[in-house]
Amino acid sequence: MSARGVLVLLTVLAAGAAPAAAQTEPPPGGALYQKLCSQCHGEKGDGNGIAAPRLMPRPRDFTTGKFKIRHTPSGALPTDDDLRKIIREGMPYTSMPPWPQLSDQQVDELVAAVKSFSPDFANPERKPVPITIPKAPAYSEESAKKGKEVYARIGCPACHGEIGRGDGPSAPGLKDDAGYFIRAADLTKRWTYRGGPTREDIYRTFTTGVNGTPMPSFAESLTDEERWQLVDYIVSLDGREDPGYAELVQVQWTTDDIALEAPDKARELFASAAAAYFPVVGQITEPGRAFHPSANGVTVKAIYNARDIAFLVTWHDMRADVSGHNAPDLPVPPEEDKGEVAADPADEGGGFFGEEEVTEEASADDFFGEEEGTADAGTESEFSDALALQFPATLPTGARKPYFLFGDAQNPVDLWFVDLAKKVATRYKGAGSDSLTLEEGEDVTAVASYDKGEWSVILKRSLRATGGVTFAESQYVPVAFSLWDGAQRERGNKRGLTRWMYLYTMPRETPSPLWPMLRAAFIVLVVEILLIVWVRRRQTPVSPVGQEG
Amino acid sequence: MSLPIIWWVALLLLAVQLVLWKSRAGTFLWTLVSCFSFWVFLRFGFTVPVPQSVISLYMGIALLAAAAYVTSSRDRLEGFTGPLVRLCTEPARRPLLYAVVLLLPALAAFAVYRQMNVKLEAPAFGRTIHPAPPDSITVHDKALNLTTLDNPYRTLEKSDPPAFASHVANGRRVYYENCFYCHGDALRGDGMYIHGLNPIPTNFADAGAIALLQESFIFWRISKGGPGLPEEGGPWDTAMPAWEKFLTEEEMWDVTLFLYEFSNQRPRAREGVHE
Ligand code: HEC
Ligand code: HEC
Ligand code: HEC
Repeated sequence: MSARGVLVLLTVLAAGAAPAAAQTEPPPGGALYQKLCSQCHGEKGDGNGIAAPRLMPRPRDFTTGKFKIRHTPSGALPTDDDLRKIIREGMPYTSMPPWPQLSDQQVDELVAAVKSFSPDFANPERKPVPITIPKAPAYSEESAKKGKEVYARIGCPACHGEIGRGDGPSAPGLKDDAGYFIRAADLTKRWTYRGGPTREDIYRTFTTGVNGTPMPSFAESLTDEERWQLVDYIVSLDGREDPGYAELVQVQWTTDDIALEAPDKARELFASAAAAYFPVVGQITEPGRAFHPSANGVTVKAIYNARDIAFLVTWHDMRADVSGHNAPDLPVPPEEDKGEVAADPADEGGGFFGEEEVTEEASADDFFGEEEGTADAGTESEFSDALALQFPATLPTGARKPYFLFGDAQNPVDLWFVDLAKKVATRYKGAGSDSLTLEEGEDVTAVASYDKGEWSVILKRSLRATGGVTFAESQYVPVAFSLWDGAQRERGNKRGLTRWMYLYTMPRETPSPLWPMLRAAFIVLVVEILLIVWVRRRQTPVSPVGQEG
Repeated sequence: MSLPIIWWVALLLLAVQLVLWKSRAGTFLWTLVSCFSFWVFLRFGFTVPVPQSVISLYMGIALLAAAAYVTSSRDRLEGFTGPLVRLCTEPARRPLLYAVVLLLPALAAFAVYRQMNVKLEAPAFGRTIHPAPPDSITVHDKALNLTTLDNPYRTLEKSDPPAFASHVANGRRVYYENCFYCHGDALRGDGMYIHGLNPIPTNFADAGAIALLQESFIFWRISKGGPGLPEEGGPWDTAMPAWEKFLTEEEMWDVTLFLYEFSNQRPRAREGVHE
């Protein structure tokens, strides 16, 4: 910790916030808290730091005494160890950073700071008593299968969706205690869990609940056996504990005809192609920024035959927004660029989220019956979901690529855009975010479907086309993806995107390594024998009484 | 425990050398072990893995050096070839000879197999992290000469500390409204979105980063962002925004002040200017 930095900041705070008082009294929470945490959590710990308006979820308001990740029962305060763990490890996929670089003493100081903002911590009656998490039995398929029933019976699908993709009928209307929209976790992506990806973490989450959010505690309603079954089911949704982000997608060679008329059959063509999972982040480089895009990843598979190339692009979305329209060049007004997360998105967006009252204390039974009726409530949105694939207009010969945000004047890009309300592909030529032109022709065709919280879009083009890259065998081609979620009013520059990734068209036949291996072995063997013979020849005259016999 | 890995590897290899020396190993064994040690050092001695091409290059040099050493005197040459000749000729070493004769082709075959099954990786291009800035730039219709440009608010540090502090405070606001998503809340280049970026921002908290740069350079990078970089900086890949589209000139200077204040560093002075 730099003393000078703190000093300047203290002067800063003194100059800014409370001119008279700050000079004599230490700032609330102490200097370390003010330097490292106050920009988000606020100088008074009320969650209103300067960064807060653009954050989602919002920074914790410490004065409420409500904490998400706890080893204590629903509604209780966290233990010091809980707070220590959060400060050390952060909360993945939120702006709450991990602090591995601090000393133990500094972390303790921060724990004390956090606690100082809420009088609850001083109340002896509210002293946190941790629950004990029994030792986890080994994972089994059997138990996961039973867990699926528990999952459905107890009402998790209402928020988390039938197979956990965060697309339950109640999901679009969920709000936290402060009235902000909150996303029901996508249970298939354990690496995004705020409280950790392990089986013990999951057990703890639904046993203690997530205070301050609609995520309830299921402390009474389940036996211990059922709990581990539920945990195993959630783990079985996706085997990955971390996302394994790719940088390259292999385009598999196929001899089959690529026909999109029957989408289900078209999907089967991709069965043997390797999936690449790319990270999606917000477009925050050009005006019209998306500080918190809905999507955080996109899965891509690709195939080609002698005539065509095709991509299967899938991603999770809480709801299919198929009303309204979308385009990569729709303007985003500058006010929206301020990124302020509205306290009530339903008000701002013209009531496109279904209104719904779900309270924290709600018991599991409350969720029955709610599943019907809410699914279609308020699904009209002004903007539809959309997808774009981006390729350089001509294949780069060296390092020089087009600018990753829709190209630049010298190096244009070729955009394959699908508005999912229309489900037809169009092409744009991009020479920069403010210079997109619609291209004529129907080179690219697409089919799209939405099922259980997941969009699947197949796009197809012939290997060569006017005004686009010609795809050939054994070739690297830069590719990037953009995703728009209509429900969050994403359009134009306001979107989730990937940086430039690559595709590689796999050779039609993978040569067998056997012959080259044998050849190498043989050459080495011959050289060895020649060497040995040579050495022996040269040695024999020196020792005429050959021992070799 | 806290010793960097490079020291651990170096210590281990020194120990090996010591054992060789104590046991009076011959030239042959010594050369072999030394070359291998060098490879171990390159391959495992660094936290950021050394690229294969660089390893090959250094190993080539090392082998040449070994060859020069071995052939530098008759004794050494004999010391090196002696064990090999004995292996080829002495009947007592036959089993070993056969083993070697079989092992080497097997290794060659394995190497070919490895080579044909390398994991496919996206092509990587090098970029210059701090390319030379242009002589002048135009920001908000104002022409600025970068060779003579200074932070107009830097002098307040001495002349008017409260005013300076409020500029820093404003820079802090700008930073936490705009920059920390990529540059990280503690300026360590580890913001919440960097898993989606390549290149990623440098660690400003590191002593070898902004302290080596002039404030005019920082101002150029902030105002013109990725697209303002020359070709060698790879402007097409970096997500660094051109902040002139969002911020006033004063805000860009203020956030520059904040970068130095938060990380407790001083900018590099312009040549010929002494503080
Ligand atoms: C860049 C913004 C940012 C900074 C800096 C930051 N936090 Fe947070 N913090 C957040 C956000 C956002 C959340 C809420 C995440 C959520 O609700 O999922 C949070 C949540 C928390 C929580 C609540 C955890 C829980 O279980 O509910 C604690 C405790 C916390 N932060 C402590 C700190 C401390 C201590 C620091 C300083 C070392 C700090 N934070 C710095 C953004 C930040
Ligand atoms: C009323 C809606 C609702 C119901 C019902 C619900 N959840 Fe949640 N759940 C949420 C919300 C909202 C979050 C996100 C909390 C956050 O981001 O802080 C969440 C988060 C989670 C998480 C991730 C926690 C973390 O560490 O980030 C898990 C695991 C989870 N829920 C499991 C379950 C299980 C299992 C059930 C059924 C027993 C269930 N939930 C029922 C709303 C719900
Ligand atoms: C979208 C992500 C992103 C945001 C937001 C962002 N930067 Fe950057 N910045 C980068 C990346 C990536 C680099 C490294 C690549 C490069 O040099 O362009 C960088 C480089 C820089 C550099 C050059 C550092 C050097 O070592 O040469 C400066 C200075 C800088 N950023 C300042 C800022 C400031 C100030 C802000 C906020 C006003 C900001 N950045 C916001 C991504 C971002």
